[in-house]
Amino acid sequence: MRKAVIAGSGAGASVMALTLAEAGWHVVLLEKGPNYFTGLGEHWPPKTVFSNDNLKANRCFEQPDPDAYPRTFRTSAGQKKGYYVGGVNELPVAVGGGTIHYGAAMPRFWDIDFKQHSMLGPVDGADVADWPFEYADLAPLYDHLERAIGVQGDMSAMPHDPVLKHAPRSRDYPMKSGPQKRASILVSSGARTLGLHPYPFPSAINSEPYNGRPQCNNCGFCNAYGCPTGARGSALDILHRALLTGRVELRPETMVHRVEMKGRRATGLRWVDQHGRRGVEHGDIVILAASGIESARLALMSRLPDPHHRIGKRLMFHYFTSGFGVFLDQRLHAYKSWGAETACMEDFADPDFLGARAFAKAQGLPYIRGGLCEMGGSEDVIPEAQFYQYILGAIQPQQPFGRAFKELMRTSLLRDRLMGIQMLGHDLPYLSNNVTLDPKVRDRHGFPVSRITYAPGKHENVAQEFYIPLITAVMLASGATAAAAVPANTPLMGAGGVIPATRHILGGMQMGTRANTSVVDEWGRMHHTDNVYVADGGVFATSGASNPTLTIMAVVLRMARRLAGTA
Amino acid sequence: MVDDPRVGEGFTRRRVLGTASLLPLAALLPELLAASRAEAAAGSPYRFFTSHQAAVIDAATRRIAPGPEDDLLEAGHPGAHECDVVRYIDTLLSAFDHRVPKLFAGGPWSNRHTKGVNHMKTFVKPDRAQAQAWRKRIKELQRTYRNGVTALDAHAKGDFTKASALQQDRILASSGIAAFTSLLFGHTIEGMYSNPEYGGNKGLAGWKEIGFPGDIQPRGYTTHELQAPEISIIDPTGIVAEVLASFPQIAQAYASGVWRG
Repeated sequence: MRKAVIAGSGAGASVMALTLAEAGWHVVLLEKGPNYFTGLGEHWPPKTVFSNDNLKANRCFEQPDPDAYPRTFRTSAGQKKGYYVGGVNELPVAVGGGTIHYGAAMPRFWDIDFKQHSMLGPVDGADVADWPFEYADLAPLYDHLERAIGVQGDMSAMPHDPVLKHAPRSRDYPMKSGPQKRASILVSSGARTLGLHPYPFPSAINSEPYNGRPQCNNCGFCNAYGCPTGARGSALDILHRALLTGRVELRPETMVHRVEMKGRRATGLRWVDQHGRRGVEHGDIVILAASGIESARLALMSRLPDPHHRIGKRLMFHYFTSGFGVFLDQRLHAYKSWGAETACMEDFADPDFLGARAFAKAQGLPYIRGGLCEMGGSEDVIPEAQFYQYILGAIQPQQPFGRAFKELMRTSLLRDRLMGIQMLGHDLPYLSNNVTLDPKVRDRHGFPVSRITYAPGKHENVAQEFYIPLITAVMLASGATAAAAVPANTPLMGAGGVIPATRHILGGMQMGTRANTSVVDEWGRMHHTDNVYVADGGVFATSGASNPTLTIMAVVLRMARRLAGTA
Repeated sequence: MVDDPRVGEGFTRRRVLGTASLLPLAALLPELLAASRAEAAAGSPYRFFTSHQAAVIDAATRRIAPGPEDDLLEAGHPGAHECDVVRYIDTLLSAFDHRVPKLFAGGPWSNRHTKGVNHMKTFVKPDRAQAQAWRKRIKELQRTYRNGVTALDAHAKGDFTKASALQQDRILASSGIAAFTSLLFGHTIEGMYSNPEYGGNKGLAGWKEIGFPGDIQPRGYTTHELQAPEISIIDPTGIVAEVLASFPQIAQAYASGVWRG
């Protein structure tokens, strides 16, 4: 029996494990974090300790505790001072990876994302490239995964231009879309009056019982929370099936820190567990699926062959632009919801959106792309209060607390009266945005941590400049009394670089056909090794302009089927 | 080397006790520490705070989030005291006094809005990395609170609780105390708006005050509740008007995330 050893247990790792196990492979998954799902692989859905608990989430229950597993951040390689040490754009460290608390948004990438260089052309200063395959190659895999995980959506409500034109579908979603919440209804109607095309957000959230899991009951603790009822589809759906084959072992609280190599061949993954026990898990192939940043870190710590210095390069996060619409005549109770937003809109991801080409040309760029807009989100109570604390310090420093704080909480401009739009802007790949090993900072086991170097480039800034007035216009058209849209990545005066927190971790282990300009081949194998594979968002050659999880799974499924001989 | 008395002593002691006998001692350590602290806090109804420390923190958090007893204009509006913020902070500072530290409330739900078992009461054991990080963090917080209370008393020339409300406000806003006030404000927020299993939000007073149902599982919300319009007109005055007046800047500050600390 052939054996694969995988670092990670999230979106990519689960798909790889199931596909290989079903083809008769023995698979061992080594997961750094704990398992919060009792009975996974035995009964379904598993029992969970997640709950509607804002504080627990803030206390790094599933996030890596920055004290144990810090990262460092700088905006450029030239920045010698003011290093930030702490949490930087982290995904959960737990069985199920990012999917245990993602918003479960499941849009597809577009045709132009996979052929960005040939379809849209190069951009000065950026490292734009094509993927080694195209949208049509992934389309049947998207279909398959939407059913395997359970995605709700409504094909008839999706606009041909630009969505279905760029991401054609041969069949509808396996579940109808659920009810729209108040804030999403208002913002969608506002967008429509401006000729835009919002539609129900395709989401891995049950609008009816599916996959043995219950229908979602709209508790609202969704994005950044573990689902208490099991209504959210995730990597667990896949992991559970993988464990049921009897050929998959899942070992939580076991951190991989080195790929053991013999020449071009990996012999296994070296690990250390929570108790300090160490060992090597040997296998015929090894698979890095620890997320874009952590897989690059692992490759760098293992000194995997990299003659062209491509490991860790071209990190992409999606720049966010946030729109805030405030209503003085009503409360929107956006927290009563399935998902964080029940509607989305992809018009701004289109390089041919009305006026976008001309604006780009005037600024010396061939094109600009915004991205998918999540329509109708809001904020949780504790962060809302923390922000009022901050603004009281700015507005009334002579007494930055007291009755004013309670007035702000009661009025709730920035939660219960807030209608948010979050645009996930397309990030171009730049060689200067990357992961390297920090020369000084170590994690709790003594291993060097990831040092993130990242700043938005000209394209990202120009695209925001173009779309900010449009986002503001949508909110005003929706009835908001006050509205503002702002970049979420522009540092405040004197505050230094803003730490990215988009949770979309793409690139760093780029997929491509040429060994001198990419890290892995189209089947995920690292060019300069015989049997080291990468199976996470790290392989993305471009960032797309929407939530990436379904595409991560589809890309990995394509690799996995080839490896398993079932392609 | 043997001449060094410290080395000799350590070596001997280790030999006398032996490794095996150290294990049960280590297991008892949280209880022993708690017992010794309980002695220090004799007569105090708190695990970490002495009665005086608790009184100072109560007085300070009443200024941060005043309730009906603290501000006439807050009549009918519970504040930090009514939410029992002191109990929340004490629970955090003594989290490791319990076999399963009171850091992560359990799941999947409390049944607060329904009938049945409160699963949130059963705390989840942190893994080693979490426990290590939180032990360190809480140790630092304990020191900060001890020193913070001492500093507040010093600024009040003896006893912070005896100072007038106006003096207390001035002290809390003064530059020497600002960092502690900011920490206290953060914990006041957590104590008012977190799930009551963490020791605060007494009787759900914090959530009721802002019209938030809190944790709602396994009830959830109906489609009607999702979509219902909720007319509530405000004519902004005071701080709310100020926020609206500088809304673009406020939005920029919010989106930048600098306030997340």
